[in-house]
Amino acid sequence: MSTETSDDLLIAASSSSPEVDFRFGARTLSLKGESYPENAAAFYGDIITRTRAWLGTLGAHDGVTVDIALTYFNSSSTKMLFGLFDALNEAAEGGIKIVLNWRHDVDDDTIQEFGAELHDEFPALDFHDIAIDG
Amino acid sequence: MNYAEYQDFSAVVAKRHVVFYYFGYFSQNIVSAMAEAVRLHLEKAEPVASTRRKIFSCFVEMAQNITHYSASALTAAEQRESQLRQGSVCIGMENDHYYLLCANPVAAENVEALREKLEPLRTMTLDDIKRAYREMLRAESPDGSKGAGLGFLTVARDASGPLEFEFVPGATPDTVTFYVKATI
Repeated sequence: MSTETSDDLLIAASSSSPEVDFRFGARTLSLKGESYPENAAAFYGDIITRTRAWLGTLGAHDGVTVDIALTYFNSSSTKMLFGLFDALNEAAEGGIKIVLNWRHDVDDDTIQEFGAELHDEFPALDFHDIAIDG
Repeated sequence: MNYAEYQDFSAVVAKRHVVFYYFGYFSQNIVSAMAEAVRLHLEKAEPVASTRRKIFSCFVEMAQNITHYSASALTAAEQRESQLRQGSVCIGMENDHYYLLCANPVAAENVEALREKLEPLRTMTLDDIKRAYREMLRAESPDGSKGAGLGFLTVARDASGPLEFEFVPGATPDTVTFYVKATI
């Protein structure tokens, strides 16, 4: 059964941008793949704006699950991702329960360290480091 | 170039352990196709996953730097999408380490600003670099940056030694060729 609604934010992956599967109706947000678009500020700017607006409509009882499975992101994407998690953290500070599943290859120190950074910086998020073997 | 000369050229490439070289225009599509070629090579040739990731990361940062900032441009300065700029990038091996080298023309008036950005990175420890990276992550993007101001810090983080860079007088008095070398 599809949970897609017209308000969802779905962008197919390209060779240099991730699959964006933000099902606002189901309260599940997922990013998957690689991220090094030419203009990361433009790519993520709209995603962050729409996510912020949607978070503003939620009540404290609405739980949100965020699944991030990015295998590579360039420096400008890193900056924009930080902004996205900042928006999520603000909502979590406002009482919305947000689970962040941070998936990475078990030996990818860079992505694991960035996850640890997010965990420190955004303590209101229920952060789960999920190391995937293989 | 005849076949014999081409053979000589190929022999020099092999002797220098050059695994990738491109000179020409850089666009997002070209960068992404080159990234695929680099990844394929590394999957075959480099057994250590962290080394593969660092080379790939440096490659993308350097190549996108050329797309965004080379002074030899086919697209307007203010354009942020579908940019086309000229430069070169090379991946090779020496003393059992991979290195990445890139070159592109820059305006002579920008040389000092680049030098001021790069010189401090050369004496920073890995911890210093990571600290500067964390600060920049939280800061406003610098003026003139099309990214996050994190590109060179990312390359410095991935490198095993200090970044090397050089400015060489270019074809005209107002351009300078800017070289960066990172050893992984």
